[in-house]
Amino acid sequence: MTQSVAPLSDLKRSGRGVSKKGSLTRQNNRIGLLATLPAFLVVACLLFLPICYAVGISFYKTDGVTFKFIWLKNYLSIFTSPIVHQVFVTNLKFLIAIPFVILLATLCSVLLYEKIFGWKFFRVVFFLPTVLSTSVIGLMFRSAFSFEGPVNAGLAKLHHAPINFFSSGNTAIFVVLLALIWSGFGYASIILLAGLMAIDPDIFSAAEVDGAGWWQKVRFITVPSIRGQLAFVAIINILYTFTSLFGFIFVMTAGGPLYSTTTLDYLIFQKAFSSNDMGQGSALAILVFGIISALTLTQSRYLTGKARD
Amino acid sequence: MAKKISPARHGIFLILASLALTTLYPLGYVLITAFRSLHDYAKNPYGLPDAYSLENFTLLFKNYGLGLAARNTILVVGLSLLISLSFSSIAGYALAKYDFPGSKAINISFVAVMLLPSQILIIPIYLLLSKIQLVGHLPGLMFVYIATNIPFGVFFLKATFKGIPDPIIEAARIDGAGFFKTFFLIALPNSIAGLTTIALLQFLGMWNELLYAYLLLPDQTQRLLTPALASIGGRFVSNQPLVAAALCITAGPTLVLLAMSSRFLVRGVTGGIGSS
Repeated sequence: MTQSVAPLSDLKRSGRGVSKKGSLTRQNNRIGLLATLPAFLVVACLLFLPICYAVGISFYKTDGVTFKFIWLKNYLSIFTSPIVHQVFVTNLKFLIAIPFVILLATLCSVLLYEKIFGWKFFRVVFFLPTVLSTSVIGLMFRSAFSFEGPVNAGLAKLHHAPINFFSSGNTAIFVVLLALIWSGFGYASIILLAGLMAIDPDIFSAAEVDGAGWWQKVRFITVPSIRGQLAFVAIINILYTFTSLFGFIFVMTAGGPLYSTTTLDYLIFQKAFSSNDMGQGSALAILVFGIISALTLTQSRYLTGKARD
Repeated sequence: MAKKISPARHGIFLILASLALTTLYPLGYVLITAFRSLHDYAKNPYGLPDAYSLENFTLLFKNYGLGLAARNTILVVGLSLLISLSFSSIAGYALAKYDFPGSKAINISFVAVMLLPSQILIIPIYLLLSKIQLVGHLPGLMFVYIATNIPFGVFFLKATFKGIPDPIIEAARIDGAGFFKTFFLIALPNSIAGLTTIALLQFLGMWNELLYAYLLLPDQTQRLLTPALASIGGRFVSNQPLVAAALCITAGPTLVLLAMSSRFLVRGVTGGIGSS
């Protein structure tokens, strides 16, 4: 699509442009800078400034109205708080979803790669949960597993007593894990499938000539070739577990019973907006951000490997 | 090469079909439940309804203000998307095709805040916005959506505009076309696919967002759809059909969008490192 290119005859005038090149470059400099300015200013005011502000108030005891400088006390009380420890462990429990997500996604992508009848349709179906809000997914699962919900109705048909899934920590975590797996494997499959499609098909033909079976091809060619994508999916899911469970927890359990399903991001929200302890909320947010930044940076090798395409 | 139809392929089809069913069945269940009355649902939750009715939807629109929430959501998401895309496409174009002092630093600063989690921003943003009296007003939330979407937008569109061959732009520049002329007449028309993809990703991100929308618009009359859904879900746990209808209203537009443009979305998530 190059219709908008100037006709060749006009290029004769190009001499004029070259002679003015010095001033053109200077003008370009100014325009380039001016063009990035609106975006940069918005980001500076609404992202950079707030981050600095968050670091600042993490040293204060504050409800947003009164401020009292307390040095590192917010951080100290986070490190010594048993609730924070419990919540951190809960967060680790939610990581259980990741092996299942990756296993299902690998299965899906390897099968989709065979390009059987309808594979494009299946690809869109698996992608469906990705476009849904965490609150939509969370509410679907909460409704399904509520005491009077369809899952218990099904159990009743099997003559099983109804289970109050959200009254105990372990069953509540189980339902959240199901929601995470259900909504997570499609996105991962699409990423892995993209990796598979980048593999040179000749490798598979060569292996077939050598007598490799389907499983051997998966084991020795497919999986090693998509190691980068697998790592990417794992990291994204770990980051997700530490930063993006708020929607699920908010609509499904509100962190309860007690603190048994409270995640770090939900705890930040609770501290800041239910207990009005904005200082400690900020301190916790900064610590969580520190954890995930460290995680991302140590694994950035894989991330940059992915970013190449 | 003609595809051979072997028993193995039937097996693959069956596995994929059953996996697809686990995705589709809950969605279909919610869709059907939304069109049932509570009475009809209670009789037989698994069966097909005796009669379809719109009563849940009319109830939600009449009594629980979902119509207003939908209007607010469309307004906030639409305007934020328009502004964020304008800013990020102009900045992305400048960073892709113009070499100016400071461009590297500006680029790095965008990338640095690209994956910022919302929980680190929400407290200071809430305090700063309440200082300028913007908590509880739609523009306050719009500012936040615009700002949080710009970094990835710039990153994505910079990569998109980089794909336009330099000689085309050079030729136009030599002819005297300035920044905006090359931007509007060359860069934008040649990047429709990229623009569509990023617009879809950002639309979904804003439409589905809960934390900012819930906290920055605490007033009932200013509610957006996602927080309204969350509160309806919390209040009517035992009225499955009503919750199902609210789910349909909130999720419907995103699913229709996916059905219409899966090509762009699939490319969008596999192309960049994007998970916006």
